[in-house]
This record gives sequence, C-alpha cells and structure tokens, in this order.
Amino acid sequence: MKEFFEASTALNNKHVTEWKKNGKKVVGYTCSYVPDEIFHAAGILPFRIRGFGATDTTIGDTYFGPFICSLPKCMLQLAGEGKFNFLDGAIITPGCDSMRRLDECWRKAGSDVEGVIPPFFFHFGVPHKYSDYTIKWFTEETRRLIAAVEEHFKVKITGADLKKAIKLYNYSRKLLDRFEELRTLDAPPFSGEEALAVILAGTTMPREEYNALLEQFIAKAEKSPGIKNRVRLMLVGSANDDVGLVRVMEGEKAIVVADNLCFGSRFYSDRVEEEGDPVFELSRRYLGHNDCPRMYGDYRRRLSILEKKVEKSKIDGVILQNIRFCDLHGSENGLFERDLEAKGIPCMRLEREYGPLVETGRMKMRVDAFIERIQQRRAIA
Amino acid sequence: MRNETREYKFDWMLWNTFAAAARLKSGTENEYRAMLKYIPYFNRVVDTLLGTGEPGQKFIEICSKYMENLTFAKEKGKKTAITTFCFSPAIFYAMDIVPICLEVLSVMMTFVYKRGTAEFLDYCNEVGFTETSCSSQRGTVGAYLAGIGTDVDMFVTDTPGVCDTNANAFAFASAYLDKPFFQLDMPPDLTGSRSNEYHREDFKALIRFLEAQTGKKLDPERLKENLRELARQDEIIAELEDLARLVPNPLPVSYNLMVYASRFLFAGMPECTGVLESMLKIARENAAKKISGLSGGVEKLRAFFCYIDHYAQNMQLWQMLDGNGICYQGNILSHFWSHNAPHVSEYHKEEAAYKIDTTNIDSLIDSVGMINSRMPMIKSIRGPYDAPNMWLEDTLGLAKLYGADLIVYNGTPGCRNTWGMVKLLARDTEKAGYPTYIMYADAFDARVQSWEATEERFMEFLKVRRLV
Repeated sequence: MKEFFEASTALNNKHVTEWKKNGKKVVGYTCSYVPDEIFHAAGILPFRIRGFGATDTTIGDTYFGPFICSLPKCMLQLAGEGKFNFLDGAIITPGCDSMRRLDECWRKAGSDVEGVIPPFFFHFGVPHKYSDYTIKWFTEETRRLIAAVEEHFKVKITGADLKKAIKLYNYSRKLLDRFEELRTLDAPPFSGEEALAVILAGTTMPREEYNALLEQFIAKAEKSPGIKNRVRLMLVGSANDDVGLVRVMEGEKAIVVADNLCFGSRFYSDRVEEEGDPVFELSRRYLGHNDCPRMYGDYRRRLSILEKKVEKSKIDGVILQNIRFCDLHGSENGLFERDLEAKGIPCMRLEREYGPLVETGRMKMRVDAFIERIQQRRAIA
Repeated sequence: MRNETREYKFDWMLWNTFAAAARLKSGTENEYRAMLKYIPYFNRVVDTLLGTGEPGQKFIEICSKYMENLTFAKEKGKKTAITTFCFSPAIFYAMDIVPICLEVLSVMMTFVYKRGTAEFLDYCNEVGFTETSCSSQRGTVGAYLAGIGTDVDMFVTDTPGVCDTNANAFAFASAYLDKPFFQLDMPPDLTGSRSNEYHREDFKALIRFLEAQTGKKLDPERLKENLRELARQDEIIAELEDLARLVPNPLPVSYNLMVYASRFLFAGMPECTGVLESMLKIARENAAKKISGLSGGVEKLRAFFCYIDHYAQNMQLWQMLDGNGICYQGNILSHFWSHNAPHVSEYHKEEAAYKIDTTNIDSLIDSVGMINSRMPMIKSIRGPYDAPNMWLEDTLGLAKLYGADLIVYNGTPGCRNTWGMVKLLARDTEKAGYPTYIMYADAFDARVQSWEATEERFMEFLKVRRLV
C-alpha cells in the first residue's frame, strides 16, 4: 500500500525519477480521453497531469480569469513553479471549457517564462458525442496524435506495439475489475482512501510495475477480513485526485465503496477490443466508455450506471461533489439528487475547491451530518 | 419565485408587452408621450428604438411577432424547439418548427422588466442547476423549468466544443423536462476537410433528428427559399458594415443590436429583411449627407466590443455610448461571416467564411451547415483564441477594419470559455495598440454589478487611458 500512496501523492515519484534516469520520456495529459496505450507503444511513460500539491494559485490567476475552476489553475500553478519540468510533453483535451483553456494559458506562461512549457505540446480534440462520424473523426485525431508523437520523439508506433500495449492495459483493467469486486464486498478489504491511492498510482507509474503491484495487492486483499459496520458511500462528480479528501469524508464512520470519478472507476471501465485496427479500437473505447457529463444529452445512461452501482455496492448514501465553477458536474449532480432521492437513495451535494484541503472543517461537518441522517434513517427502518 | 410571477405564462406576458409597444406610435406624438409615463420601466427602451424611426418600429414589431409565434405555436399545431443565439434558425423555419431562442428572450426580459430575469435565474438554482452557469440561458430556461412557458418539444444547441455552460444548460433542461435533445458538435478547427466533413455529417444527423421529431421530411424548396432570403440579408448586412467604416459612421448606435437580434430571431425570413432594409435606407441617407448616426452628431470615439453587449434595463449601454459620442463599431455577435462581408474580403481567408449555394439538396445542406459552424461565437471562440480564424485574429481584424479606438470585453461570470483566456486576449490586443477594457459585470444580471457601477468604471477607464 505504501508504494501506491507514494505514487499517488507525489508528482515526481520514484517511478518517474527512475524512468527518467534511464533516459526515457514522460508525456502528461489532462483528461481520461487520451489513450495511454499510444505512449506505452512508443516507449514513453503516460502521466496524468494533476494539480495536486499546489499551495496557491497566483500563477494560475495571472493567466486564467476569476470565474474558472481551480483544477486547471492548480495545474498551471505547478507548471509555473517548475513542478512539471520532468514532463517531455503535455496533451490538453477539451474536457471542459476551463480545461480547454489550459492550452492557451500554459502556452502563454511558456512564452513568458522559459522552461515552463514542455517541448511537446499537443491539443487533442475529443467530440462530445458518440456516433459513427464522431468515432471516425476521433480515430483520425488519434492518428494525428500518433504521427505527432512519432515525429517529435523520433519513434515508430507500430500496430503490433499498439496491440501489445492494448493487451497489457486490458489486463490491468481486468485486475481493476477484480479490485472493484473486492471493494463492493459487504466487508471491503480496503478503505476508499486506499482504493483511490491504488487507482491514482496507475496514472503515474509504468504499467508493468503497476500490474505487478496490483496483483500483489489483490492477493493480499482477498485474504483480508475486511472493514465492517461502516456507512457505505459512493463518491460522484468532479475530478478528485486527493486521497485526503476521501479520508476526511470517511472518518471513522463511513467507507467509500464506489465512485464514478474520472480519476476513479471511469478510468478503467471497459476493455479495448484486441482484434481489428488498434487505432480504431482505441478510439472507440476511449470515446465511448467515458461517462463524463461533457458527453451532452446522455444523462439517462449515466443515471442508470449510478443506479446499478448503488445496487451492486449496497450504497447507503451518495456524495455528489463538484468543484466550484464546474457547471457540468454541478448541474448533473442536481439531476442525480432529484432522481436518486426519488428512489429513496440519500444524496448530499457538496461544492468545494480543488487543491489544499482548506475547507476540511466545513466538509467534515457536512459529511458527518449526512452520515447521521443515514444512520437515523436506518434506525427508524 | 413569487406567486404572481407564476400567474401568467411568461412568454405570453412578453408578447403582450412587445405587441403593445409596437402599437404605441399609432396615435399622435402627444398620445405617445403621454403613454410613456405609464410604462416607467420600459419607456426608455421604447423611446430609444422608436427614436430610430422605421427600423425601430419594425424591430419592435418583429419582436412581437416572434413572441406571438411561440406563444401560439401549439394552437397552430407546430413543434417548438428551444435553441440558442448562435444557432441559425433558418433550418427551423424551413421545417416549420418554431424556434425559442433562450438568450434573446433573456435580453428582452432584462431590457423591459424592472427585476429582469432574476426570479428565473434563481429558480434554476432551486431545481439543481448551478448558480455559476451563464445567466443568458438561465434567465429564460428557469421559466420553462418552472412550467410557465409554452410547451417545449425539443432542445437543440450547437455549442459543445464552443461553450460548455451553454450546452450544459440545454442538456440539463432537456433531462429535467425529459425532452429530446440534439447537439451540433464543433471540432476545434474551423476550416479544413476534416472539420467540413464533420459539420456536414453532423448537420445531416440534425435533419434526421428534426424529421423524426416533426414527422415531416425536409422540403428542399422551402430551405432554398429560406437560404436565398438569408443571402439577401447578408448583402444588406455587408453594405451596412461597409457604411460603418465611414467617418463619421452614419449608423445609429442601436443598429448593431437590431442587426444581430433580427438575424437571431428571423434568419432567412422576410421579417428580418424588412428591418435590415429600413436600416440600410436610413444609413444610406445619413452617409449621403455625411452625418453621424449618433444623436449628438459628433463622433468622439469608436468602440469595438469583442464579445457581447450589456443588456441592462432600458438599453442603458447604448444610451451611455450615444450620450458620450462613442460610436459603436459592433461586437462579436453583429458581424456575420458571409463571403461578401467586408471583414472577410479585406482581411480574412475566404475558407473561413460561408457561401450560400442553392444548386441542389447537398449544396443546401452544406450551406446551412457552414452557416451554423460560422455563427457568431461558434466561429471565433471555439479553438485556441490565438489560432487562425479565431478570437484574437477576428478581434484585431474587426477592430482595425472598423477603425476602433478601443476594445471592450463584456460577458457573464458564467462564461468559462472567454474568462479562461480573456486576460491573454487583452494582453495581445493592448500590444497591438488597442486600449482594452475588461468589464466585470454580468450582461444579464444587474445584481452582480449595478449598471451605475458598470458605467462609472467604464468611464473611469476612458479617463485613465486618456481616451476622453
């Protein structure tokens, strides 16, 4: 577990340091729509860019306007402070307007201060819906990304390499499915905080090492007596890569046994087809699998996913959180609250800032009150 | 929301307001002046618009007609579609669907009601929609969420990839009301074969969606007729824009608003053409006499707004500009990207513009798809702000062509898209020699910053930068 925590709570962790020592490249990306397999096939370490560890947003605020989500601001802050200097490249996706604008803000910061921007910088377009022509466009975009990586890093990404990477990542997803099954047991063998650390570590370390650690973790977890008698929560909404936030929510009374976060279970759900054109199959999975509200008009499907998770994981309550100015998750949380509460599933909406846990007291108080509400309900039942 | 607000359908109320305004000048001047006293919160809008003569009269009439159309759509057996300002309604008219443009209705309410759209803005939050979302959609969508508007059949937007908060308002409302939803998606690039093909396929999917909702096939002849009318409107707008380059500018300050609002309401319909023709007539007369369109007759400054206007009650922005001799050289909404627009031929690549081709059904669909992908905001504020054909290039090009002395940004705090990069834009426009002012007001919600404070800060900027 220590390895996972270290990898998930330090940006330039020992795996990255080791990787770089061997003269290999690291490319960061901001959103779970970017296929890791491409970089693995190129011998490059894919690294999910985060804003974790930023202690203020002075640099972020220099470029972004005031009404912007604090996640991209924190990312830019860290970039401006040189914390991402280990990156050889960065890929920005239009996950949302704020994240999309990280592209320009980071480039502008790069033109102001030397070394802030990685040598390879790529805007990766992602359609907002799933259909035959959007997959076609996204497949072409993925090919454009591959060509750019090949040209910049002087590598060749072959179909065979991609298929190998797909197999490896699919194996990882298979392990994470097992991990998820354990997480939903009546007595889960690990806490939500630990679960998030395990998932996050996968975004920051070489996949082979990650799979090996994951195998060990699962083997050990399968023998654990598990954590009992806790209120079972599901965490939903905006990006959260802070294990500390989950720790605050869980406290001594609760356990987060499910989520639908892009840094959580959305990251590993579904497989990539191993037969056929690997670029097309990667595009199909990455565009199709992701249950983010940026895919407009698909609310009912996302609600259905949550309902299934609630049932499967025997959820007592759902925490619907969003970062301030994250209108996509914030609004969808409003719909989730209406529809889940109507089915008797207790929900709590929580708006927060990304970054240092400056609001610990407020959040703890609200979550504790929510847990009390659930416990009282149980008592009455 | 107050109980009395729920008493009447809001759109019916708005129709009545504009219908009454359209009749105000039918009596004598004395009767008109006497009537103004009885509409204390609306009289300055009426007076400002009707003060422009025939164009203002016609403009109020088409606002009334638009509201009448949507108010009685169901009685006439027509389908209604909630849509957005940057979606050309031409396709709806061609398919006999009544469009309901959220932002235009928000502007109407903000102009004429003392409380603006405040109750509807707040109602959205009550039912779960975020308070940080854009007030332009929230102001009207709240009324529909509350069930005090006409029956809605579908939601159609074209802002994914351009403006999340806009697209999200449509997605939220369609899910909340359980109504069909369609999005035209916008890739980051405006031009190139990939984007063109994507726009085409997406628009074909939209037509299939509209056909499914209405149970009617698209009538190519009707679309052709509509696009021909649109081409005529483009010609008039191009001439108006050309006239705006003259010194002094012969266009009154409110013409910009009337140009874009007419297009948002009735693109490809004779109602819009009528307003534009009457504006052109007066603009030509002013130009021939070499007189300014400003009421004071003396042009002191020329301002270009790089985003939207401030829709404070009673059109106070326009009155402020006019009263201070500031000629309004347009904003991002009032400049369309037809191939014959002066700004296209003078500084832009033709590929970034649209051309209407009515040869056959494919060229019709391509044309209407291109028009949509080049609507205000959709064209300029989709990809990176500094990419070719995008915000920076468009802003500098328009400011130069129309001889602006300063550039002004105004939006809403909900505009994640522009607030994400407006500081960068302002840095670049300042470097290019244009004093650039970022307004921190909300174009649709005076509770964020009162108009008085907004005006004072604007005037302070002009003084500090020694523009006045």
